[in-house]
Amino acid sequence: MMQWGLACGVGCAMGRGVCALGQDTAGTGALVGPRLEGVARHRAMFWEKVDEKNVKCTLCPRECEVADVERGYCGVRENQGGEYQTLVYGALCSANVDPIEKKPLFHYLPGTSAFSIATAGCNIECKFCQNWRISQFRPEQVESVLVTPQRLVDACRSNGSRTIAYTYSEPVVFYEYMHDAAALARKAGIGSVMISNGYIQEKPLRQLCQHITGVKIDFKAFTEKFYDEWCSGHLQPVLATLETLKDIGIWFELVVLIIPTLNDSPDEIKKMSGWIVDHLGPDVPMHFTRFHPTYRVTNLPRTPIKTLERCRKIAMDAGVRYAYAGNVAMHPGENTYCHGCGKELIKRVGFRISSNVIKDGCCPKCGARIPGVWSQQEALAFRPTTQPASQPARGR
Amino acid sequence: MSEVSTRRQFLSRVGAAAAVASLPMECLLAAGDEPKQPRARVAIGRDEKLVGGKLDEHRELLGKLLDAAVQKIMRASDAELAWRQLFKPRDRVGIKVNALGLSTQPAIVDAIVAGLRRARVPANRIIIWDRFDVELVQAGFKLNRSSRGARCYGTDADRIGSGYQREIEVSGRIGSCFSRIVAEQVDALISVPVLKDHNLAGVSLGMKNFYGAIHNPNKYHEDNCDPFIADVVSHRHIARKLRLTVCDGLRAQYHAGPGVHPGFAWPLGGLIVSTDVVAADAVGADLLEKQRREKGLNSFAEEKRPARHIATAGARGLGVADLDRIQRIEV
Repeated sequence: MMQWGLACGVGCAMGRGVCALGQDTAGTGALVGPRLEGVARHRAMFWEKVDEKNVKCTLCPRECEVADVERGYCGVRENQGGEYQTLVYGALCSANVDPIEKKPLFHYLPGTSAFSIATAGCNIECKFCQNWRISQFRPEQVESVLVTPQRLVDACRSNGSRTIAYTYSEPVVFYEYMHDAAALARKAGIGSVMISNGYIQEKPLRQLCQHITGVKIDFKAFTEKFYDEWCSGHLQPVLATLETLKDIGIWFELVVLIIPTLNDSPDEIKKMSGWIVDHLGPDVPMHFTRFHPTYRVTNLPRTPIKTLERCRKIAMDAGVRYAYAGNVAMHPGENTYCHGCGKELIKRVGFRISSNVIKDGCCPKCGARIPGVWSQQEALAFRPTTQPASQPARGR
Repeated sequence: MSEVSTRRQFLSRVGAAAAVASLPMECLLAAGDEPKQPRARVAIGRDEKLVGGKLDEHRELLGKLLDAAVQKIMRASDAELAWRQLFKPRDRVGIKVNALGLSTQPAIVDAIVAGLRRARVPANRIIIWDRFDVELVQAGFKLNRSSRGARCYGTDADRIGSGYQREIEVSGRIGSCFSRIVAEQVDALISVPVLKDHNLAGVSLGMKNFYGAIHNPNKYHEDNCDPFIADVVSHRHIARKLRLTVCDGLRAQYHAGPGVHPGFAWPLGGLIVSTDVVAADAVGADLLEKQRREKGLNSFAEEKRPARHIATAGARGLGVADLDRIQRIEV
């Protein structure tokens, strides 16, 4: 299967693809570009020299110390003679035009499309990753085409999408490309959303948020044990990212993939929800989505729908105003209801919107302001409420 | 106590029977009735003419040195017999070189190919390989995908990504797609690493060389690559096929590896040869450690990068890690 929405002449060499849009052919054909042989090198941002030839990456919490000719944990950033380089600047291995609901972002321009792209690589390793055939591979192992930020923006504009979504794998590892493309896109009146695991340091996150207009964070669980054993990561940096996003004031939503027996205990969901309300407020939407066996977790069943319903109820009882059941088509838990009066505001059928009665961001019945981003003008008007302490230079 | 029960006790002690199946026979067949700790033999071949010299001018000498080392470790009456004890004409033999950073020298591989030919292994059943074509070329190897002569290509030679198996294989804590070369195209393996320092694992030798056989080595560099290196080597694609290690110590590097750093080059002019990859690595690490001490550098442990993976592999029964149980044979 291709990883492209349109036949770009590039297929998934690893076999079964991860095309998020299946066989959809909506519009990414404008991205037809030169097939990439090798890697797409570009000087990396956010690293420092340890000595003459060794460097330390300061982009994500891992802070990999990388020797000459070696790569960081993500597999897409390499030390070449004492200079740290990204190997995936514009090396797109996946591109589709998706409904924004598929990200999922339910309170961000509902019913619009997002021009969605990815490169190879990830800075954690979730044993249940649904996109592991690109996220867990190095750039040379995944077929890609080279697309400059300007060409990406042009393609998005000609397609009519209002948003570019950096998604599928982990956009933090292709930070430089996302950063530059988002800045260009904004000038062209196009928003950018990052679909991320939240494993990023504060400084690069703050700099990025000057250009992007929305974020979705995969909140894997609420225990260090889970992050350590199932994701090769840690919980605390993700909590720090969420608090930073709150401080910045950018719109963001959370997704929790509920995996039977691993992160579905009522107590954990209660603690997680309580933390969110206490630290982020009640208006951050939570999506409890359904797990399907894949990658290295093939011995567990799909998440029972009742479990998702239970998680949703626990979250709402804890004070989360917008809790959803995800990956369950036609379920009433996928619809949006006013937190003020309970009126059904957005009715969803799969990734499509069948009705949306929100008027100027408010409930038409009780007039309550519904948290979210409801117009492109509003999306592009966003500016971080706090500025980074200093503007980091590119590398050193 | 019968020999059978003795062996069972031994197998029980060393752990996984599958891993033990790959051990050099001398480890399993210790003389006497009582169970004995396995032992290993490692040959160290050196010649002053190879120190800093041009290898092309000394190909014959290099071949003789390798033959002598193989003969010693196999206790054979002559070199040809030694090679024939190790490899059969029907074997498909993969020579895993290290083409990243300070790389394996083609002249050594040529000498190995000559040895295999003396064992009647047809040239076109020999594959010289690493991860990428481009790295092999940079290391001085000539690519050959034809059926004439020894083949030479990277895992990603044909089509991007096609060189790895499609499904994840789990071994200990690693989960990786293995190179199709090691998984499907060869029956026997020779590891030909370079004697060099590694900034995270302490050393990059015969075992670490097989990080080049999996698609995601970048995921397994934490905790000094331990136990991940042993996890990779424990996998059946490696453990059941690995028969010989020839470590290129002609131009070693005792610090600032794995990249090339001429300031820490060590023209040892030697080879480390063993049928036991763990023992070969233990001896190699010991040589590097001593060289570091001589140069006034901290030990690997003091630099917080001890080569723990060697002991881990030994504890798993993949070979002998205890230097006291390794017989060093100077050639």
